[in-house]
Amino acid sequence: MKQLLPLLTATLLLGACGGNERPATTPEPEPAAVNVYSHRHYDTDKALFERFTQETGIPVNLVMADDDEVLARLEQEGASSPCDLLITSDAGRLGLAAERGLLQPSGDAGLDALVPAHLRDGQGRWYALTMRARVVAYHKDKVDPATIATYDDLTRPDWKGRLLVRSSANIYNQSLVSALVAHEGREKALAWCQGIVANMAREPKGGDTDQMLALAEGQGDVAIVNSYYAGKLLTSDEPEKQAAAQVIGIVFPSLGTHGTHVNVSGAGLAAHAPHKPEALKLLHFLLGTEAQAAFAEGNKEYPVRAGVPVAPVLQGFGELVPDSLPLEELARNNATAVMVMEEAGWR
Amino acid sequence: MAVAATRRAGRGIGLIALLLALPLVVVLTAPLHTAAPHWAHVLEHQLWDQLGETLALLGITLALSLLFAVPSAWLVATRDFPGRRILGWALVLPLAMPTYIAAFLYAALLGPTGVLSRWLGEHLGWRPDIMDLPGLGLVLALVLYPYIYLPARAAFRMGMGLELDAARTLGARGLRRFGRVALPLARPAIAAGALLVAMETLNDYGAVKYYGIRTLTTGIFRSWSGLYDLGSALRLSLVLLALVGVLLGLERLTRRDVRQGTAQVAATRAPLTGPWRWLAPLLLVLLWTLAAGLPLGRMLADVTSTTVTVSWKELLPAIGHTGQVAVAAAMFTLVVALLFAYRQRYGNPNDPAIRLAALGYTVPGAVIAIGVMTLAGIPDRAGWLPFALIGSLPLLTYAFALRFLAVGLGPLEGGLRLQRPELDQAARTLGARPFRAFLRVNLPLLRPALLAAATLVAIDVIKELPLTLILRPFNFDTLSTKAYELARIEQLREASWPALLIVAAGLLPVLLLERMAGRK
Repeated sequence: MKQLLPLLTATLLLGACGGNERPATTPEPEPAAVNVYSHRHYDTDKALFERFTQETGIPVNLVMADDDEVLARLEQEGASSPCDLLITSDAGRLGLAAERGLLQPSGDAGLDALVPAHLRDGQGRWYALTMRARVVAYHKDKVDPATIATYDDLTRPDWKGRLLVRSSANIYNQSLVSALVAHEGREKALAWCQGIVANMAREPKGGDTDQMLALAEGQGDVAIVNSYYAGKLLTSDEPEKQAAAQVIGIVFPSLGTHGTHVNVSGAGLAAHAPHKPEALKLLHFLLGTEAQAAFAEGNKEYPVRAGVPVAPVLQGFGELVPDSLPLEELARNNATAVMVMEEAGWR
Repeated sequence: MAVAATRRAGRGIGLIALLLALPLVVVLTAPLHTAAPHWAHVLEHQLWDQLGETLALLGITLALSLLFAVPSAWLVATRDFPGRRILGWALVLPLAMPTYIAAFLYAALLGPTGVLSRWLGEHLGWRPDIMDLPGLGLVLALVLYPYIYLPARAAFRMGMGLELDAARTLGARGLRRFGRVALPLARPAIAAGALLVAMETLNDYGAVKYYGIRTLTTGIFRSWSGLYDLGSALRLSLVLLALVGVLLGLERLTRRDVRQGTAQVAATRAPLTGPWRWLAPLLLVLLWTLAAGLPLGRMLADVTSTTVTVSWKELLPAIGHTGQVAVAAAMFTLVVALLFAYRQRYGNPNDPAIRLAALGYTVPGAVIAIGVMTLAGIPDRAGWLPFALIGSLPLLTYAFALRFLAVGLGPLEGGLRLQRPELDQAARTLGARPFRAFLRVNLPLLRPALLAAATLVAIDVIKELPLTLILRPFNFDTLSTKAYELARIEQLREASWPALLIVAAGLLPVLLLERMAGRK
């Protein structure tokens, strides 16, 4: 045992040394800092955080990870969590976080005034920052966009073998079906998924961008994609994507008469936020016109604030009329949506 | 007295193993503490399909990996031909490529809209699509085969020199020596490598999801993130672990009644003659081109493209952080693995806690993260420690040790197996206590194995994603988190810079390993 001790000590030291040598990365409860857990991986966000620090002198500390892991981390940290602001890119997960007591009401009526009611939590526990619409990309030479007025139209038999869509593991497909369950019930949603599966041009694979590239090469005629991937593809400087952009048109289908399905990325105040005033300041900043315009232009997302211009490429799609379903409903129906998709054989 | 002390030390090590394995205990005991509201649905609509696709993927990946690894290891280790030296280490290169990056790159080349697919379609009228189950098996095999190639080459080269030379003297020709002498002797080394390939295949998530394949691991995430049902996710992890149990059993079977080779004697390298002198290197170059040349070429084309911007302000710290966690995790894992190897040699060769901890390699990192955070959350919430464990580097290092113990322990076990028990007995007869005997006699002989273990762990840590992503401190990017962040928002070209740096960072230990092996 005597000989073991030095080894053990060395081991423990080694494990610990990493943590101690960079005090900057373990934030102290200093008065001025906001700690953010985010699922958004965009350069626009980082630039905005830097801008916020310049303006206010409040540094932003960031951990970026996937939604579910972030929620698990918050849950386990409990009251000891250093997190002030949770940012995710799915309303479902925001609702889930609120339901599990991981968020607290902001108590800030000023924030409520900035965001339309259906895009925020009734108790002020989270607010949408940006919207992404589930749109349909079509091949301009082969498809008359007037034939796609609703998502239901995609299940018509004449689309058989012509529809491209990614797997049911994708959150935006899940949230679309989730909205469908909320509006029209489980049975209708199941029938819709079965119709989609019957019309698929191929087994679901790849991401949204891949669906559009496949569309441009004639592997299908319509594709269900996320508006901001469409916006990015159409403004890309890559020759391959530019070529695809030439033949792709975008149309906004409506969910019945309710409008186009949107999901959001949003932010909520962590239940045990150690720096609440600073976190609220950051939330106000992210909902300010400057940040909203940056999201819109830099990342091709739809701003949630009225009066902030939409990126030109998105304007070219036409006007987005978002479904006004309260987004809290998405969390409530997500599990049902996944089950329905699996029952329909949507891989 | 000495015996009692040894037993205490043994128990101490057993305790460390248990402490390390504890997060897995959380996973294993899931049915006792986490409800699974949608388990019935998962059973009916997910489990069997997922199990089927998992087994199919496993079979294809393993078969192709063996096909790529074993003959090339044999050629490089025992025959001489033009380019042997360079090919010898170049063939290790794909080891440094994270599977999800490889999956993206091959899809960009050979997917439904891939550059090469399109070219082949235009010129040969044959348009391949690699994005299906067999295609994914091929992609995984192309980046994972070095896990078999390395130990197989070492076995062919150092483990059976006298036998091979004897067989030659007796007139056995190349193929016959390979089939009748070399393969049986190298069986355990090849099986150990194949086990690593299997485990990497089982816990892969990014590649499998992108290709639209449904494995048990994708099912775990489906349940967790889609059904909001962590309980079902953990139960699926149990199924995954059961599958690994079967694989471990199979691997042990390959070790049964294996003959001991003559360790540390290199075989004479006979030059290849006739058409094989050129055909062999040609085939190896072809393999290298597929496994390393194509993806590397694609990445190089991306990073040199003028439209791709790179933020060195972000990448440079990421390089530093990557080195930091790789070194810390490799050293910590190695010390732990050494203690365990000692326990297996001089104490209990089948310590169940050690066996359990070694299973960490199979479980998807995100699931291990759940176990680790569940445990670390207890002292954190109670404020027992002066600093929070979650989000600290010590906890991340500990999680890596659990995740990659098998990678570190494997080479040590293999190396010790080559040391005959008479060695220990001699040292003990001369009065050395077990631990001293281990330090003074076994350890020095273990140097190459130690180095191999450290290299493999370091490379795995550099590539690792989910644990780093979720357990890291604030403002702590690594190369793999940078690559992932860019890839997941479908900015694949921008992801090429960090991806290329990951390969470069992995190259460093690979070259080091090769130098040491060459000096022998």
